Amino acid sequence: MDERLERYAELVVGLGANVQPGQEVFIVPSLEHRDLARALARAAYKAGASYVHVNYSDEHVRHAMIALGPDEALTYAPDWAKRFVESFSGNALIATAGNAEPELMADLDGERVGRALPIEVVQIRMQQFAENSVNWCGVGAPNEGWATQIYGEPDVERLWEAVAFCMRLDEDDPIAAWREHLARLRERRASLDALNADAIRYRGPGTDLTVGLLPNARWMSGSSTTASGIEYVANMPTEEVFTSPDSRRAEGTIRSSMPLVLAGQIIRGLELTFEDGRIVNVDAESGAGVVRGELDSIPNADRLGELALVTGDSRVGQTGTLFYNTLFDENATCHIAYGFGFPFVFDGEPDEGLNNANTHVDFMVGGPELEVDAILADGTAVPVIRNEEWQLA
Amino acid sequence: MTHEERLERYAEIAVRVGANVQPGQEVFVHPHLEQAELGRALVRQAYKAGASFVSAIYNDGHIRRAMIELGPDEALTYSPAWGKALAEAFAGSALLAITGDPEPELMADLDGERVGRAIPLEIAEIRQRQHHENSVNWCGIGGPNPGWATQAFGEPDVERLWEAVAFCMRLDEEDPVEAWRNHLDRLEARAAALTALRPDAIHYTGPGTDLTVGLLPTAKWASARFRTASGIDYVANMPTEEIFTTPDPRRADGTIRSSMPLLLGGRIIEGLAFTFADGRIVDVEAEEGADLVRSHLATIENADRLGELALVTKESRVGQSGILYYDTLFDENATCHIAYGMGLGYCFDGEPDEAMNASRIHVDFMVGGPELEVDALLADGTAVPLVRDETWQYEE
Repeated sequence: MDERLERYAELVVGLGANVQPGQEVFIVPSLEHRDLARALARAAYKAGASYVHVNYSDEHVRHAMIALGPDEALTYAPDWAKRFVESFSGNALIATAGNAEPELMADLDGERVGRALPIEVVQIRMQQFAENSVNWCGVGAPNEGWATQIYGEPDVERLWEAVAFCMRLDEDDPIAAWREHLARLRERRASLDALNADAIRYRGPGTDLTVGLLPNARWMSGSSTTASGIEYVANMPTEEVFTSPDSRRAEGTIRSSMPLVLAGQIIRGLELTFEDGRIVNVDAESGAGVVRGELDSIPNADRLGELALVTGDSRVGQTGTLFYNTLFDENATCHIAYGFGFPFVFDGEPDEGLNNANTHVDFMVGGPELEVDAILADGTAVPVIRNEEWQLA
Repeated sequence: MTHEERLERYAEIAVRVGANVQPGQEVFVHPHLEQAELGRALVRQAYKAGASFVSAIYNDGHIRRAMIELGPDEALTYSPAWGKALAEAFAGSALLAITGDPEPELMADLDGERVGRAIPLEIAEIRQRQHHENSVNWCGIGGPNPGWATQAFGEPDVERLWEAVAFCMRLDEEDPVEAWRNHLDRLEARAAALTALRPDAIHYTGPGTDLTVGLLPTAKWASARFRTASGIDYVANMPTEEIFTTPDPRRADGTIRSSMPLLLGGRIIEGLAFTFADGRIVDVEAEEGADLVRSHLATIENADRLGELALVTKESRVGQSGILYYDTLFDENATCHIAYGMGLGYCFDGEPDEAMNASRIHVDFMVGGPELEVDALLADGTAVPLVRDETWQYEE
């Protein structure tokens, strides 16, 4: 087997999901991720998995459902799919990303695309997030379609090299390099927590947005620990420190700085305007319909769930590549998400200001011109990011 | 006909004639990864036929291989909760399974005993119950792919395989739906005549073969056109050229030799010969793969007794194509075959005879050919010729 692929799978299984002997492992790839899925299954068994489940998803099947299926099919969650997701609790999950046909849904009704969500399945995952019962990891799976999206040609090898760089596979000991990197991010989040900021303010071209923070919400980074004590890295690569904001306090306008792929459509030039925490206006150069479809049909999708800070030393940012994939692009630069917030940013019970919704959509807002300040309770503005560089001690 | 037209036409026949998907039904589609093109066409056609929801569950032999090679012993027979829920959901729904192994020799270097044992037992029991209750309108069809084509032709000539499959599926007919109706009517008439004859046993003779198998008095001969308990007509295998029954598992004596290789658990079994005494297989020989068959027989209850006898003659379109497909769905329709393992409850009008074989597996192997002679033995000892030189002999 391809040595790089095997090394990659070992890192994801060993450090990312941190599969424990005797655990069941769930892998949810797209059809086009088969090489990685097979390598992950082998690595998981080698790590002592009691059973490895692989459930391939096929966007063409989803396309047929949205194009030809009845209305009820859009939100239907089959019993077997609910059982599948329920079984993640107490077990390990590896999700692979990298859309092989990013424009597949472009010919469909954006409103139907936005509504097509197996609601009960999503609710089970939300519950698992709240209980922190799954050691999971999301990783990239290079494929021709994704490579074409990025480079204009199906140069999968080039994409593999970029992904391997972001994953630190060039290091002699990638696991040790990851541990150092995760420690650096932990220091950043500690310095932010120490500020006890009341709000974050974003300024830049087309952007002036202030978002309130929740007093007992902490900043998080890279590694997490399940309720039962298993450490895992939920996203690889990861370059962010993040928190969940007060979903009742957001005022102003923010403009996305990179395209994002949502439900098979590409959203370009997204611009959101907030009042009293709610999105009151959505503009985009393309794909606004999908966003509006989500915001209209999913309760509380129109409130914020995440603020994340990333600087110029990000390996993802250093590749200079627009990956057209949230897992990567959100780690190139600062981002924000509408939809559900993260209960695990609280030490105890989540604050009631935490957003609760059946979706979570990240969009990128960072860049050289974005200025990020922490606003303290007395109104003082403390610079956090300037010119994509970290400003706090 | 372009390839796309052929694909949609094929999927439409499988959905409308095969599984006969009813408006409002849920549909389950089971392709291999390498059959995504056909899987997607089936999903589209199922929605066009009014499916309420279509679940496509892809099968990847490499994941199964990793489990058998690297997983713990308990993994071999494990049935995950979601896998059981999936199988349970077939009841009252439509199911389309796709055969045509993309990597027929994928398991060849693994321990045959482990390969033979690797069956999710509780899921197999659920499917077995559904067979008995006849609660699923299902259809198995072939999905051409490079690996299967290479197996059949020695080169990945997928187009040649598509042409053969299209011929077997009668897609060349102007009205394939009507052609299938006529064909199934013919098979049904043959089955009805044989049922009316009420033979006590079937006698096979040929090179290396002399086997007598007892029949059950209430078991009928049938074609693959079935009706679910709730009244939905469906064709369980497409193509289908056989009439079949489930025999008395207590009465089989003699020896029978397979006339074609078969694929089992990712391995090829060649030159298989079974010797029966008092209904049980007492000896297994094979040029290749005997260990896997012996593992089945040793570890799975009642795998060593017969579950099916099927008669096929040379007007079979599969037989006419002259191709060895290395796929049971096709090859069993080229010629006469027999299966060890699970009996077929739907061969009975009411409750199955309690003697019918109960087992978790059902493995067909081909025994037909120009030299095989098949007779019906009546209760008074009379032998009535059924098949000679691959030609049907008996008319009422």
